[in-house]
Amino acid sequence: MTQTVNKNVPALEIAGLCKEYPKFKLKSVSFSVNEGEICGFVGRNGAGKSTTLKSLLGLVHPSAGSVRFFGLDVKEHENRIKQAIGFSGGAVDYYKRKKIKDIVSVTKTFYETWDDGRYKDLLEKFELDEEKTPSELSEGMKVKLNLALALSHRARLLILDEPTSGLDPFSRAEILDLFRDLAKENVAILFSTHIISDLEKCADRIVFIRKGEIVAAEEKRDFISRFTGEENESLEDIIVRLERKADDHE
Amino acid sequence: MNNTAKLISKELRLSASPLSYFFILGSAFCMIPNYPSLVGAFFVCLGIFYSFQNARESNDTLYTVLLPVVKSDAVKAKFLFAAVIQAIAFAAFCAFSLLRTALSDYPPYDISALMRPNLAMLGYVLIVFSLFNSVFICGFYKTAYKLGKPFILFSVFAFLFITVAEIVHHVPGLEMINSVETDGIPLRLAILLASAAIYAVSFFVGMSVSKKRFERIDF
Repeated sequence: MTQTVNKNVPALEIAGLCKEYPKFKLKSVSFSVNEGEICGFVGRNGAGKSTTLKSLLGLVHPSAGSVRFFGLDVKEHENRIKQAIGFSGGAVDYYKRKKIKDIVSVTKTFYETWDDGRYKDLLEKFELDEEKTPSELSEGMKVKLNLALALSHRARLLILDEPTSGLDPFSRAEILDLFRDLAKENVAILFSTHIISDLEKCADRIVFIRKGEIVAAEEKRDFISRFTGEENESLEDIIVRLERKADDHE
Repeated sequence: MNNTAKLISKELRLSASPLSYFFILGSAFCMIPNYPSLVGAFFVCLGIFYSFQNARESNDTLYTVLLPVVKSDAVKAKFLFAAVIQAIAFAAFCAFSLLRTALSDYPPYDISALMRPNLAMLGYVLIVFSLFNSVFICGFYKTAYKLGKPFILFSVFAFLFITVAEIVHHVPGLEMINSVETDGIPLRLAILLASAAIYAVSFFVGMSVSKKRFERIDF
């Protein structure tokens, strides 16, 4: 898969994604993430972040729209695309009572590009003990384990649903630092969050979703210059103000 | 190693409950005098059920669909796992049946009002397994989460079948179904072959139906 990555197309391209639930609608979500870019997907709880991310790999079925990874349609190239991406709903929450080494020994057999050397390096870097089970890890360590698994098969795109939720400030800072290092290695990262300060620290691009509808999807500096109302207004102030303004209009 | 072999390995090493292996011993029920041997086949299925329960609690489905395999391979993996356990149990049933047949002239095995382990009984074992695959596993994949209702349904069907199987050989003219002598071998062999065909058809049709149901599920 790494050989098939087309440098001229976005790592991820979503166009017109729709999904209808009885009490919620995802309304034509479109945005893209380029290689080496950190894209923060922000919105309040229930705005549609998780539904969008789950739609990318068919975990929920969109009623319309298309998803392309590295220019390839996900429906036609599911297996090949999964070789090149890492997807996580946050912390590792499967096989809680199995040793990490047992989970990894099975997982790695599925990846053509699994790199044992890199995996060992990441274990050392994250101070992960293979003899432990996921149930014995803190939330931050579980996120790191998920990242270690994704990075050991040389994932070119990471899709992470609220990876920093529930983490202490130190662990959050570590994860965000890691994101920046990965972006330098040309890895694309799409992560959802409702912690806006995370975006201020490391996002290159911001996708802001509200009630299932994309309000803005652009580079952070463009977002700030377009929506800044007052001098020295932080990104958090801007987004909270936009949310309140929209609430007032309803 | 191809993806199918990898998926079976994943099932055996990560998803399976130890009870799935333990309940293969249900096949030894053949050796209990005056006990319905087919209940052993039900226990083998109960053991597989525990792996489904274990997998659900371990978020196994989500783990599997995120691997670089086609999403519906998560279903294939479960059917293959069930088939592996059932194949081992069937082989054990065969071995115990041979042993029991060799001892059929000696007490306490010389008299039995219940089905003796013979070719027909082995066929019935395959029917119980077919019911598990088509009623329980297929039923489970309506939601990929709810285990209780499909298992109760399977249990009802399985015990109805076991009851009928134990009655049929008492019907005048059909006594040879329960024989371990040479007479009636063609009939018993026909029951075994028909059951094997039912197992194969229910396996592949059940897997196909389950895959379609699974594809429709939103996580």
